[in-house]
Amino acid sequence: MNRKLVNIVLVVLGLAIVVIIGKDFIGKKAGKNIANQYKYDVSEFRKVDSTAILFREAGTFAVDANEPKGIAVSGKEIVVVAEKMLLKYDYSGKELLRKDLPDTANCVTVNSNNEIWIGMLHSVALFDQGGILLKRWNSFGDRSVITSVAVSGETVYVADAGNRIVYKCKRNGQLISKIGEKDETKGVPGYVIPSPYFDVALDDSHFLWAVNTGRHSLENYNADGSIRTSWGKASFKMDGFTGCCNPANIAIMADNSFITSEKGMPRIKWYGQHGEFLGVVASPDMFNEDSYLAPDIAIDSDQRVIALDFERKQVRIFEKKADGNK
Amino acid sequence: MSANTEPKSMERRRFIRSGMQMALAVSLGGVAGISLLKSTSKNLVWQIDPFKCVQCGRCADECVMTPSAVKCVHAYELCGYCDLCGGYLKPDPNARSTAAENQLCPTAAIKRKYIEDPYFEYVIDEDLCIGCSKCVAGCTSFGNGSLHLQIRHDRCKNCNECAIARVCPADAFQRVPADTPYLIKGGFTKGSGAKGKEKKG
Repeated sequence: MNRKLVNIVLVVLGLAIVVIIGKDFIGKKAGKNIANQYKYDVSEFRKVDSTAILFREAGTFAVDANEPKGIAVSGKEIVVVAEKMLLKYDYSGKELLRKDLPDTANCVTVNSNNEIWIGMLHSVALFDQGGILLKRWNSFGDRSVITSVAVSGETVYVADAGNRIVYKCKRNGQLISKIGEKDETKGVPGYVIPSPYFDVALDDSHFLWAVNTGRHSLENYNADGSIRTSWGKASFKMDGFTGCCNPANIAIMADNSFITSEKGMPRIKWYGQHGEFLGVVASPDMFNEDSYLAPDIAIDSDQRVIALDFERKQVRIFEKKADGNK
Repeated sequence: MSANTEPKSMERRRFIRSGMQMALAVSLGGVAGISLLKSTSKNLVWQIDPFKCVQCGRCADECVMTPSAVKCVHAYELCGYCDLCGGYLKPDPNARSTAAENQLCPTAAIKRKYIEDPYFEYVIDEDLCIGCSKCVAGCTSFGNGSLHLQIRHDRCKNCNECAIARVCPADAFQRVPADTPYLIKGGFTKGSGAKGKEKKG
């Protein structure tokens, strides 16, 4: 009789323990699924009128590397730098080249001679198409953060987000001049670069364009460093640039229209040569919802936009819709 | 039948008795060991890993303290001192001003101060901050992530089981030594417990 009582007590005790543990587990799970009444909500600005989307995604492939950093187009090949790696792919995503780099790469560009210029953290290096190092410049100093390189013939423009300046250099790295230092006589407002996104590109007349992200503008410079023109405005709406510092990346089409890429709420857009908003290449909902990195962008000879999606580690190819010409 | 042969029921009883004695000894030893370890180990306190935090808003409501002991802190060395600050201003504000309608913080706990064109400094008023992390989300998405949450130990009760840690969806709460109780961005780098340089980008 006693044994029976003990057994009953033990079973009840066991059941009580299971109930308490189960309740605690479920309670914890439920607690972790409470709606956030303080949510930072930008969903309204993620919505895009479908008629404003003038490009379609024509292809995509994965980049087999840990931290992709930059993208460029070389003829019919796509060049990607990732950590200490130089990669080349064809448009189907087939890997054509994988070479180790001497330092961590930040950005890449390919000039008209198909030379590969790579911006490292503090310096610039030149490689041939086989990934062989041809030349490496001296460091721009510990404060420098090289984020973009643009090459026009014998002139190389290097964007340094750390020092908030563009260096105009010879091919051997010799400094010719600095562009973008605040100078009221030349109408130069000075760069405001709150985060390490600082892109440069050249138009078809080889004039320099640089983003001034803190001022939400693109600035165009004469060879002497004076301002030719600028455009851009801050806005969460589709025709402006969001956040503290955008556009993070730019690329220029053959007709001198602009492709811009933004961080915070990633979106890729198309602007005319005078800065008028034309339409959307990739809307925010085409990127992961929690994504906030600005895709790097390049333009190929068919005027397609080649984007490097850092979150998905993918190369994404966008081409104009049949009725997408403006 | 030999003299030292016992019935099977006797063997079983002896086995059970010695087993129970052994279990009692092990559990007593364990309790003593844990007590000894606790008395000799460093004091630990709760802290938030800012790189794990997903700005869920729980810190404002779940803390046993009112207002929460979790506060927004500012890593000034990372801040861009932006005019259009994603942590201070609502998305698409009417103007970049201190008007209440333009402020993101529900308690106006961030003070905006002009430095020089176009730079502004942002200071947290901890008495007003409720730890809702709305500003942290804005700064992380659209800025450099210099605004982040930390448990302030002049306010924290250091509960044995932290009420916020229980419901943190990112498991960002961890125990840290009481003599180094903060995981401030800049000094504390992602993936390391040691002080180091903040990773750019």
